[in-house]
Amino acid sequence: MGSTRRFLSRYVAPNLPPYGLGWVMLFATNWVVVRIPAIVGEALTILEERGPQALAGTRSLATELLVLGAVVIVVRSLSRVLFFNPGRRVEYQVGVDVFGHLLSLQRPFYMKRKVGELVSIASNDTTSVRLLVGFAALQVCNVAVAIPLHLYQMAVTDWQLTLWCLIPVAFGAVYMQFTVRKFFGMVRDSMQMLARVSDRILEIYSGIGTVRSHAAEAAAFERFDLRNREYLDLQLRIARVRAFSMPVLGFSGLVGTGIVLWVGSMQVVDDGMPVGNLATFTALLMSLVGNLTALAWVLAAVSRGVVSWGRIDELLETPPALPDERSPLQLDAPPKLELRALSFQYPDGDEPALHDIDITVEPGKTLGIFGKTGSGKTTLVEVLTRVHTPPEGTVFVDGIDARDVPLADFRDAMAVVPQSPFLFSTTLRENIRLQGANPYKAAADASTTEAMPDARLDEVLTAACLWDDVEQLPNGLDTVVGERGVMLSGGQRQRAALARALYRSRPLLLLDDILSAVDQGTEARMVSAIRQLRGGVAGSMAPTTIIVSHRTSVLEHADEIVVLADGRIVERGTHVELLAKGGEYAETHDHQGGEGA
Amino acid sequence: MSDTKKPMPSASTTLALLRRFWVFAATHKRWLGLGLSMIPLVAAMSTLRPLMVKYAVDDLIPAHDMVGLRVLSLGFMVAVMAEFLCQAVQVYALQRAGHTTISDVRRKVFNHVIHLPNRFFDKNALGSLLTRTTSDVEALSETLSFGVFMILTDVVMILSILGAMLWLSPWLTLITLTVAPVLFILVRYVGAVLRRLQLEVRKAQAAQTGFLAEQLAGVTVVQLFGREKAAHDEYQRLGQRYLSATKTANWFDALLYAVMDGISAFSVALLIYFASPSVLTEGGAVTLGLLFAFVDYLQRIFIPVKEFSGKLATIQRAAASLERIYGLLDEPTEAAVEPGEENPLVPWKGGLKVRDLKFAYGEDGPDVLKGLSFDVAPGEVVAVVGRTGSGKSSLGRVLTQFYTGYRGSIEMETPDGGLELRDIKPSHVRKHLLMVQQDVFLFQDSVAYNICLGEDDLACDPDRMMDALELVQARKLIDERGGLAFEVGERGGNLSQGETQLLAFARVAARQPTLLILDEATASVDSITEQKVQHAIEKLLEGRSVLVIAHRLSTVRRADKIMVLSKGEIAEMGSHDELMAKGGLYAELYTMGFEEDDPDEG
Repeated sequence: MGSTRRFLSRYVAPNLPPYGLGWVMLFATNWVVVRIPAIVGEALTILEERGPQALAGTRSLATELLVLGAVVIVVRSLSRVLFFNPGRRVEYQVGVDVFGHLLSLQRPFYMKRKVGELVSIASNDTTSVRLLVGFAALQVCNVAVAIPLHLYQMAVTDWQLTLWCLIPVAFGAVYMQFTVRKFFGMVRDSMQMLARVSDRILEIYSGIGTVRSHAAEAAAFERFDLRNREYLDLQLRIARVRAFSMPVLGFSGLVGTGIVLWVGSMQVVDDGMPVGNLATFTALLMSLVGNLTALAWVLAAVSRGVVSWGRIDELLETPPALPDERSPLQLDAPPKLELRALSFQYPDGDEPALHDIDITVEPGKTLGIFGKTGSGKTTLVEVLTRVHTPPEGTVFVDGIDARDVPLADFRDAMAVVPQSPFLFSTTLRENIRLQGANPYKAAADASTTEAMPDARLDEVLTAACLWDDVEQLPNGLDTVVGERGVMLSGGQRQRAALARALYRSRPLLLLDDILSAVDQGTEARMVSAIRQLRGGVAGSMAPTTIIVSHRTSVLEHADEIVVLADGRIVERGTHVELLAKGGEYAETHDHQGGEGA
Repeated sequence: MSDTKKPMPSASTTLALLRRFWVFAATHKRWLGLGLSMIPLVAAMSTLRPLMVKYAVDDLIPAHDMVGLRVLSLGFMVAVMAEFLCQAVQVYALQRAGHTTISDVRRKVFNHVIHLPNRFFDKNALGSLLTRTTSDVEALSETLSFGVFMILTDVVMILSILGAMLWLSPWLTLITLTVAPVLFILVRYVGAVLRRLQLEVRKAQAAQTGFLAEQLAGVTVVQLFGREKAAHDEYQRLGQRYLSATKTANWFDALLYAVMDGISAFSVALLIYFASPSVLTEGGAVTLGLLFAFVDYLQRIFIPVKEFSGKLATIQRAAASLERIYGLLDEPTEAAVEPGEENPLVPWKGGLKVRDLKFAYGEDGPDVLKGLSFDVAPGEVVAVVGRTGSGKSSLGRVLTQFYTGYRGSIEMETPDGGLELRDIKPSHVRKHLLMVQQDVFLFQDSVAYNICLGEDDLACDPDRMMDALELVQARKLIDERGGLAFEVGERGGNLSQGETQLLAFARVAARQPTLLILDEATASVDSITEQKVQHAIEKLLEGRSVLVIAHRLSTVRRADKIMVLSKGEIAEMGSHDELMAKGGLYAELYTMGFEEDDPDEG
């Protein structure tokens, strides 16, 4: 299968040297492991026979045993490391490849998959794969070497006894085959069930206010206890299997030693078999059974690993589905943006989200997009920024079809503030600057960057009205924000995202509903600051700008405003013209204007 | 709450915790006792087997006693069988005791948490509470089933084998076990280093996974700003850190594992070397059979030692979990209602007499209610308006006893006299006094469950529920989707905001509370649903006392009385016309449309 071939060639093959050496070590280990009982048996036989050289004989054997003990420590350690470390390297490589690929996949993909699921693939599934090529591979290879060696040594010592004592072991092994699969199935179910209990608990905790205001605690408890009891029942069933079924293989080994005693002692008495063989056999048998048991436990890891790789491979083989790159783009000056009869439908949408949009924005001008929730304005921005790929012949930048431009070039030409501002877990400074090879190593680099004054940063902080907020933060600009840092308010996040886009300073600027969480006073200041900043950067023209908002005060100074409703342009004109028309725009303006000064 | 940063509990604390834990375990002491009693039996059977072999080698074989050998072998099989059965019973009994105890702990914790006062939920993140109820309890489970009992089994086994060895030959025992101290030290040292390394490994892994989750959550931003390579590089850097940490840990892990093989060989070597002279001497203290037995014992005695230090660490972690769980269980809950206790509010008709009500959230917090005095007559609709911070939300929370500790008097008027609110148990109060907020929580279950919340008294009657839906004009809506059995999605995902609001109203209608506190905070819904919501509110206002924190002009106009709060005090009170005529605070609020202030405030 292509999937297996991919896995073997991409990840296993580079690690063949350590695996090969590991194999050698396994062979050495098992040779020693098998030799030890043989030596012990020999020594015991010598002692029984009480020949003239007996003491010297046993003592030299004892010394050999000592040496072998030291050897086994070395080769066993090496064999483990030589299998485990490649496993880890595979885990690393697969994880890196998965992440890299995920970064190349676009919005249509992310609309269908949950982030939690993807994180699980990149972490849990890579762990399963690691266990497959590390731990499981070790055990399987070990057993592949151990069993023949054990059987050989046993047969060489006494082939009849070998056959006798293997009978119960064979039964035990077959029984285990069936049981192990069932057992691990139950364990998997129990993990899922625990997750369900956890979900239920979280649900009720989240809605605790409702539960308590309706004095429904007893009912909530019942709701939880239902799942809790289910889980307990399953745990008890698993316990039964674990107690009575799983030890069967080990038990069969012990039965085997009983047979060794029965048959073997007969043979010692009748056929003069050396008595030491009894000890050898018992030890070898228990060792063999130990290896078989390890194999049984490992089978579960193998099947999990295979399933996990299947998921990973499916992900890695998902194409980014991008159109061909035909026309490179290098913008030196703010471009002319044209939308010609743009209609757009989401990949699994029932109907088009945008109908027949015609807009032209001359270089350096500002377009305002106005509309209520659900009017299509965010969709329009997403198409413009190629978060969703626009249809052919609809979006043009300086006359070039946006589809034909390499995505990296296209994105490099613009600075965007998306609707819900996202901050990285780094300093506020680096969240805005996004500079440097590694914006995430902010903590370590803070001392160096602090020293360098950044006029641009100061400018954008002023424009975004962030100075007051910066002062309130514990470490000012070097405060770590985001999930693992200080949580900023919605308004602060929006302004930081705006600062980020302004700092980037590109020929195209898109601002999607950035002032929704800001009060009117601050909004007014920011709007004028944006205008000033756009034209104020030394020596450069103001970027072609698109501002989206549902507040008319924000769009006042745009060169043209289009009003969207249900994905169509219903009105267009300047602010003044639209007010005069008395349509939706004007209505909203009155309503919004009526609120306090 | 940074749980991970607290130090591990000390040994004495651990013991104290375990003693307290016994209360839970004691319920299942029969299974526990059964399991524990099996342990010495298993150890005995296991220790007996090599002694049987010794007997065979020393006595039966030289004597060519075939019958004896057969009998002995059968006895051996019986011992094996007995050991298997006893061990199976032991494992099952102990697991059973363990799992049922843990299940009880989980129930206790859950039941405790859902009865904790609101203040507690304000201060503690949901995630932390969830961890205590799930992960911490699970950690206990692991320890109980695999830690404590395993250690016990191992200790008994080791002692049993040791006992047999000493009985057979004290001086040989001494010689062969000289390797033991070396083993202990090695295992302890390497084990400690390994555990430290494993902690580093876990941290490095968490850092890498955390980074991944964050980048994926903001992947659009990463892509829009062309940060893919930077993100990829950082992920690789974190991955490398994780990788090298694991490679180091692997060496120590491998060493620890391999040592076991070697130690066993060493001790057998010592055995043979030193015992040989005695065996070879006629009538020597050490017989061949004894040697057989010793070889067997030596191969088994070291195995549990390796696991030992690991299991101790598990117990330590469980002690930390136990500490957190008890921390939670020690938090005081609301006053509980005894079964069969009568609800004194049954004859209450909704009349309230509030005198000089003062309230502050914390003990040293400022008063948010600074001496309110007003009356609510049965069936009266009182609208409460005011700016954010005026105290209107707090009023509702105090009345429903979500926050306790008010000063002044809130009297519920009954034919037998006035009952002070603080003297009534919260559960009783909430059966007759209901607060509905804008933030509606829906369970992922049927509509029926969401309306009656699983209680089996009147509210769950299907007819009553349908009537309630009818009242709030949601019946057709629900019927279209399959009636009362329609499954509501996670957090109401498959319903619009307006529809969830109507369901919340249906809940109220089904319950028919005597006094309703309605928080009307604005929601952006389309005009059709808005009409339905308004109509539903109208209906809910009928036939009961209502305190409505109003935002809609229609509601305010409908009210019998309007109370204007400002900074925790009653600024104005009267009907709409009276207050408009005054031209004061109310008039101002009215013109502004009762809009909430902007959400950017802290």
